[in-house]
Amino acid sequence: MDAAKLLSASNLDVYRGNRLVLSNVELSLNEGEVVALVGPNGSGKTTLLESCAGMHRMTSGKVAWRDENGDVRIVRDFEGRRKRLPPMGLTLQKDGICGEETIEERLSTALSISGCAPSSSDLNQMLSAWGLEHRAVDRISQLSGGLRRRLAVLCGLSPAVMSANSRALLLDEPSEGLDESARGLLVNWMRALAAQGHGILIATHDPEMIAASDRIVSVLENGTLSSETQDCLAFAGELPDPCPAIEPNPLASHLRWAFRMEVRNPIDTISRLLPALISLLLIHTFVGEKEILVSGNDFLAALIIAPAFISVLVGPALIKRYAEADCGRWWSALLGPMHRISSSFIGASLILPLPLIYISWLILGDTAPAETSQDVLKSIWIIGLSLIDVAIAAAAVHLLVADLHRSNAAAASLLLLILVWPFIELTDALTIILNDGMTFGLGMEEPFTMILLASLTSVLIWLVAVFLPDV
Amino acid sequence: MFGIVVISRKQVGWAFTGLGSLGAIITAILSYTYAPGVDPEAWNAPEAYRILFWHVPFAWTSFVAYTILFVGSIAWYARRKEWGWRLVATGSDLGLLFGLGVVISGPIWGAAEWGVPWDWGDLRLNTYALLTGVALFIVLSRRSQPDGIDTRDTLSTVGLFGFALVPITALATTLYRERHPGVVIVKSEDSGLDPEISRVLLIGVLSFSLLMIGLSILTELSYRLHAELVELQQRLDEVVH
Repeated sequence: MDAAKLLSASNLDVYRGNRLVLSNVELSLNEGEVVALVGPNGSGKTTLLESCAGMHRMTSGKVAWRDENGDVRIVRDFEGRRKRLPPMGLTLQKDGICGEETIEERLSTALSISGCAPSSSDLNQMLSAWGLEHRAVDRISQLSGGLRRRLAVLCGLSPAVMSANSRALLLDEPSEGLDESARGLLVNWMRALAAQGHGILIATHDPEMIAASDRIVSVLENGTLSSETQDCLAFAGELPDPCPAIEPNPLASHLRWAFRMEVRNPIDTISRLLPALISLLLIHTFVGEKEILVSGNDFLAALIIAPAFISVLVGPALIKRYAEADCGRWWSALLGPMHRISSSFIGASLILPLPLIYISWLILGDTAPAETSQDVLKSIWIIGLSLIDVAIAAAAVHLLVADLHRSNAAAASLLLLILVWPFIELTDALTIILNDGMTFGLGMEEPFTMILLASLTSVLIWLVAVFLPDV
Repeated sequence: MFGIVVISRKQVGWAFTGLGSLGAIITAILSYTYAPGVDPEAWNAPEAYRILFWHVPFAWTSFVAYTILFVGSIAWYARRKEWGWRLVATGSDLGLLFGLGVVISGPIWGAAEWGVPWDWGDLRLNTYALLTGVALFIVLSRRSQPDGIDTRDTLSTVGLFGFALVPITALATTLYRERHPGVVIVKSEDSGLDPEISRVLLIGVLSFSLLMIGLSILTELSYRLHAELVELQQRLDEVVH
């Protein structure tokens, strides 16, 4: 790849549905140029831009980016190889923002994920330039469509604005929904960024954006491209100064984002906790001491584990957050192959299994002798930990189903049937603990071995659900 | 004077389906009129055993259907072969049909013989339930999702997911006591089956196999025609626009 090229797509064939949208496409983006992708609706502009971000499977070709060290990195190819994008800026057609975030958080996330450590004044300066400073601590869901779009565009531009290194920016219909002043500001910033050596690829219908570009690439109806250069006369505006660079840690940014969303609106916790507590109360109400004593310890063990097990099977709220305005696709583009792995952990119920299993024991275990009760209280946490493994496997299965276009119309529960096995193994282990006490031997009839097998089963299910889709 | 009779694939499919259905009905009749009863001392519900004359052929044919689904999933997943996707569609449809036969007839017999309809520790029972769940998921999703490479990629992954989980199922269940009787298709010293019972069972397996072949041909043909229809519709779309 030429030293001046920031990214290149070569020999690209991409299908959307059954239609070949891009056919044998060659495209590159150089330092210091603004390239406009133009073409009629449905011609494949967005597909091409998103393919450059490694967001689509391709049936032939590859997409390569130049990283900050000057090395060429193939981010996606037709054989299924996928790597994380180097630091870059991305604005999707549907914003890619979850309404739960605040404006300041969103900008800060977009910058930290691309290795920038802006100060508060840096953030304020950028927000102020785009007329968003007074709404900095508001949730994005409270913004109008126009302000929300301003923020999405600013988040796409800021990784280059705050960086001294040349970076590529991919902006899909950036001027759509912006008023005249914001469009003018966008053109000024784009030209200033190009003057600093950054490269910008925009998909657009807007004549003003097309006029502000150095090269116009038309996506033709047969999926091929034609290209022409032009002299751009647009005026370059003034940009804020770059901020200090840090080592990008997208996984930490992702985790922080997910944690903030849940703390702000704990729908995941509530949607898991409620069915677990209802099942626990129903068991307590309708299953008496007599039934438990008659049915034996295996019945009691199943009742104790059931509420926590139910809580881990519930679909993660993360999937709903991802579905909002293509938020999940934005994260997927920036995290690359780590997205599914990271999401299966942060989408799982990691906290609830332990307290739930203790609550179940305290409510339902009063039929057990005092000595047994003490033993169970000391050892039941291991079963809780194993249920966390089950939770991670369940989240991975839900994420696999969420890959479907209409995932709401798919019955994920059918694939969760497999998780009955860890449940049975844990029930068996708890039965032995109730009968004979906890032991840590590794024989096949030892409770510790059974708990290990439950975890191993969950890990295998997780591996299959996480790695098969992306191979 | 010797005219060549050309039989279309559709006619072959209907012929096999008809013969198979007839055979299945004959099997049911023979199971009551020809097959002898079993030792009432050895079985808890001696009369209930007759359901096995359909249960075993259902299990055999569903196994073949799941194999078709698996082969199709690999072909699409690895090479995106169109025929692979047709096998996924055919295998999931028939896997669901015959798999439901297994997981419905099994518990009916289990309730009579074991006193419980389901044994969570049984390997084969649970494997079939799991695979039937996967087949049902693929059938429902094929109907609810827009057809395209992404959808097919995901669903073929789900097909492989189902099969990759069978060893996990085996790992988990071999730790438990199995209640399920041994595999009985033909008489062996182990099975100790009466020759009349073996004969009826064999007729059942052959009939269900014919039914399976007939339905496979018809289902595959219908998906082939559907693919042609979609292609024609797309061409029409291009002309209209």
